[in-house]
Amino acid sequence: MADIKNKAVGFFHEVKDHWKKPAEGKYVPYREYKDIFLAVGFNYSGNKTLEYIVFAASCYLMMYHYKLPYLTFSVINIINMPLNYIWTMMTWYIADNLGFMPKKNERKFYAVYMLLIVIGVAMIIFDPSMLFNQNGRFVTYINSLEGINCSSAFKILGTHILWNGWFGARNIFWRKKLVPKYGRYKYSLYCNAIPKCIMVILIGWVPFYNIPDVITRVWVANLMFAIYNLFPFDNSLEMCAQNISPNVRERIWVRTIPIKLSHFLNSIVAILMPVFIGMLRYKWEDINLFKYIIPGFFTFCVIVTMVFAGRIKERIPQPPIEKKVNISFWDGMFGVMRNKYKWVNTIVGLIDSLGNGMLPFATILYLYTFRLSGLIYSLLVALVSFAGTPPDFFAPYFLKRFSYKQLMIFFQLSRAIGNAVIVLALVFLGDRVNLCGTVCVITLIFMEMTKTIPVTAGHDMDIRINDYQMYLSGERLENFSGVFGWFTGPITSFVGLIIPIMLLKYGFNSNWEVLFVDSSRIKIIVIPIIIDIIGYVLMTIPYIFWDYDDEKQAKVMEVLKAREAATNGSLDGSSGGEDLQQDEETPEAAEYAESEAVTQ
Amino acid sequence: MSKKNKEKRDTTAVYNEIKLDIPKGEEWTYQIEGLKAPLIGKSVENAKMKKVLVVITLLIAIALSIFFSVRAVHSDTYTFEQLESGWQFSKFSNPGDITEITIDFAEGDKTKPISSIREYAFNCDDKLTSITIGKSVEQIDGKSFYSVWNLRNIYVDKENAFYCDVDGVLYNKDMTEVICYPIDHDAYLREKAGYEEELWRDSEGYDDAYIEAVQTYRIPETVVKVGELCFNYTNLAVIYLPEGLERIETLAFFKAENLKDIITYGPGGEYKSLPETLKYIGSDAFTRNQQLTYMFIPASVEFIGHHAFWDTAYKEDGEVKGVAVMNAALSEEEFKAKVEAGDHWLPSYDYKLLKKTIDVNYSAAREK
Repeated sequence: MADIKNKAVGFFHEVKDHWKKPAEGKYVPYREYKDIFLAVGFNYSGNKTLEYIVFAASCYLMMYHYKLPYLTFSVINIINMPLNYIWTMMTWYIADNLGFMPKKNERKFYAVYMLLIVIGVAMIIFDPSMLFNQNGRFVTYINSLEGINCSSAFKILGTHILWNGWFGARNIFWRKKLVPKYGRYKYSLYCNAIPKCIMVILIGWVPFYNIPDVITRVWVANLMFAIYNLFPFDNSLEMCAQNISPNVRERIWVRTIPIKLSHFLNSIVAILMPVFIGMLRYKWEDINLFKYIIPGFFTFCVIVTMVFAGRIKERIPQPPIEKKVNISFWDGMFGVMRNKYKWVNTIVGLIDSLGNGMLPFATILYLYTFRLSGLIYSLLVALVSFAGTPPDFFAPYFLKRFSYKQLMIFFQLSRAIGNAVIVLALVFLGDRVNLCGTVCVITLIFMEMTKTIPVTAGHDMDIRINDYQMYLSGERLENFSGVFGWFTGPITSFVGLIIPIMLLKYGFNSNWEVLFVDSSRIKIIVIPIIIDIIGYVLMTIPYIFWDYDDEKQAKVMEVLKAREAATNGSLDGSSGGEDLQQDEETPEAAEYAESEAVTQ
Repeated sequence: MSKKNKEKRDTTAVYNEIKLDIPKGEEWTYQIEGLKAPLIGKSVENAKMKKVLVVITLLIAIALSIFFSVRAVHSDTYTFEQLESGWQFSKFSNPGDITEITIDFAEGDKTKPISSIREYAFNCDDKLTSITIGKSVEQIDGKSFYSVWNLRNIYVDKENAFYCDVDGVLYNKDMTEVICYPIDHDAYLREKAGYEEELWRDSEGYDDAYIEAVQTYRIPETVVKVGELCFNYTNLAVIYLPEGLERIETLAFFKAENLKDIITYGPGGEYKSLPETLKYIGSDAFTRNQQLTYMFIPASVEFIGHHAFWDTAYKEDGEVKGVAVMNAALSEEEFKAKVEAGDHWLPSYDYKLLKKTIDVNYSAAREK
């Protein structure tokens, strides 16, 4: 007991002594821990609040007020898909160079982006569909698509072009002007906070949802949300705080204490928000949610975030841009494609896309089967998500005892079994709401508990895949991993239509209240879950080919150490892995150190 | 887990044991057994061909995806399916300008008479105002006209042997079941009664005459069943139910948000309640009808579905409004013995951050 007391007193003195000035060998004073806690916590909470406003079927604003057809979201994705490849390549080039390009290239990029802006605006204002025969096959065909016609399709495409033109040009400008001043993580926050607040308020208050014609509502909502999405309020402060100190141990300490605590703050917000919603007369479908609660809450989060964001310092010296290794597009692309384990992950992701387009079934269970709202809803959601926390403490044990292959196969099978139980409960106990609810919630808790360790394993696996890539190519080539998405994108976008088309057949369109019809709700939830179950079972197959074990990882690390020694001449090739981890100052090295700490 | 495996998974031991003898100068080319050889500072073999292959694969993948995706999301204006029982009208996709349709023959071919209409065939259409059912239609799903927001009338060919309509409201032929009261039927009644615009509770001119002409409906006395979703989303304020009605199906009056009076009529006169002959109240039958203030469960009722009266009570200014108390003709013991009641059949209201179910007034006398 006395020992604990001594430790507590010691800790108190440590914090007091180094409140403003860090201890020797450390870089972050404890006062900054408090700033990180508040800034990251409210950044995260603000970001979480925005999950209530998205241009997707899962958003109540969209489905209850805008009443947009469910399939229209897929149609819009198809319209935008081909051009996305071009934008990705352009953004890739700029992001890799952080906005610093040869003058000539920069001018070319600006010219292209400006042209895109002009084309986009012209397509929105004028009606290019008039150039086509109105009774022709093309126009007739487009007119038959759900929620759009030929004229609005051009406006949607114009919005996409305008958005990418504006976003691209602004990206170069911001990165060039703001990165040197505010660092890599915070500049986006400084630029976006105020416009985002304005857009959040406008979305609630501008009554575009009263436009009687659904086709006009679709393109206007698309345009409004495109502008809204121009100003992300991402959790960039967490990234910033994760790279706060050149001292790896201190970095892990910051990640463990203030950042984890800030997530707790977010959990409180996640509980409070439904309580406020429950106080509204029409609950989730009450427009006052979007007029007052979300804007008010978000603005408060932004203010607190911005007050404390300035006090968090980026201390890791970034390598000068001119020393950045440039890898040719094709070398990078072929480099990542030689990595077998990236293929394993890609195929898993591809199979996982079978569930794309599925409605959030847990939310449907809570709101339409059990009719929850307010505090009970919050507590149940919190209970289910909290169920994933205790297994976190056992992660090192399980990671040590079982191989990644075993864990990931178990993960997929546990999800398949859990979902199967939910299907059985819904089909056979559908009318007995209380019993059905109890079975479903217990199953959800089981699924949440069995998720934690495989997710940690997956995180470790990603780090090891990058180590293996380093061994293969001499670089981690993380950005180039996006090329897998190029190949899977067309397939997933098509596969992702299966469920929406099925749901349309079962009555799910622009009116969510069809979920009150028991027979339809069961089909709308159960059939996609069955497809998902098939996906989970199939997802075990790629993991059978995962043979990257500890021995191979250890050998890869040996080779990397040898290369490090050969390059710097400072490390003895026989020295322990600790040296490599200590000396590395990249975020990846810290990740590695942390993962190894967990594993070992 | 076997001891052997335990040892195998001892990562610390693995890291300590593994020592590679990498010859000097071969650090960048050294191949680990069981893994691919590193390829650093060199191009892949047959790079040109591989590049072409990648580009072609990508272009084909994108083109195929767009082709199939567009085909998948495209739907014809009218979709029919041939079933064993005949042709089914399965889906209507309004290109935006169709306000009236007749369902008689598939693909306009007189040799393909339509015999059934699938559930959700017109789901969420907001342009249609009138649907005419042809003489060959034998089966209509109760959910067929779900969320057809501007539908004013459903007419039925007089020669149809299975269905009929009464001034735009759909019934089965022998008039024992009312199947669909179109959502915007009040717009038709408004026009018929000479009202130029829709009136709301707080509008000037909103009076009993308006309610009588536009927002009141009298279900014929032959009817014993109110169909699934029959009056959902309607603008009714007063509904007259016949003495003799036995079943009110699932979501029959769902979100009829202006419904304030349920009156039963019969040879013995009128009374403000559900009919004394009623046996079955489906799930969500009266959900979200917050204008209702009085509800009486007659002694004849044997089944009440889950959430039958959900959200008919609410709290405002500290006072419980809507159906603040449920009246039941039977005593508590009789009720529990006779009535099979689903979960949460009673409405509840917000109470100190939680929910509180309203009280039941058992052995209650019916209001006059």
